[in-house]
Amino acid sequence: MSTNTPTSNPVMKRALVWGGLLALVIMVVGAIVGGIVAGWPGVASALVGTALAVVFMGITAASILLANRFAGGDLFVPAFFGIVMGGWLLKLIVFVVLVFVLKAQPWVQPVVLFLSVVAGVIGSLVVDVVVVMRSRMPYASDVQLPVPPKEADDAPR
Amino acid sequence: MDATTVLADISGSIATVGYGLAAIGPAIGVGIVVGKTIEGVARQPELAGRLQVLMYIGIAFTEALAFIGIATAFIFGY
Repeated sequence: MSTNTPTSNPVMKRALVWGGLLALVIMVVGAIVGGIVAGWPGVASALVGTALAVVFMGITAASILLANRFAGGDLFVPAFFGIVMGGWLLKLIVFVVLVFVLKAQPWVQPVVLFLSVVAGVIGSLVVDVVVVMRSRMPYASDVQLPVPPKEADDAPR
Repeated sequence: MDATTVLADISGSIATVGYGLAAIGPAIGVGIVVGKTIEGVARQPELAGRLQVLMYIGIAFTEALAFIGIATAFIFGY
């Protein structure tokens, strides 16, 4: 199985790690700005908004990593796209529900939350692009070389 | 109330229509990205890793539109 792991795995892992680090930076900056603009609700909204954006953007990479565990099997392609697209659908539904739940909360400052979601989304896009641009991927490393034929004596007759 | 007014009358939240519209574009975009990746992997399975990375970038950009579109619920309408 391990020889069949697609070459995209390290790139996805790096995107997740760097996305998480950038999220921390955006959270700190957003919390400070939110605190100045709107007090404690601003801080809470900036933290929640950035976390939402980065977690939801990261689910794509995580679902690809999960789906790549099926590499090499007969059902790889259906399983891969089922997991990636299913994760996508699920996260958008959860996001819509969260938006309406959060909007009703008294400790939420909507404008700060919206802006921090946008900042988180754009930040994670930047991280993705930089990680992919700096990644080195061999052209055809997923190829499976044919195993050498066994000795004629071993072959079943 | 004449016929025109009745036909033009909308009750409830028009913003929900906007969230639906915000989902259509990215849905088509992600559909195209994924479909083309399936085509590519079917033609050249050994390139699956590279194609997955490109697909990931494509999905990330299109889904960003959906996220921002749906997150506008925080600042506009209900």
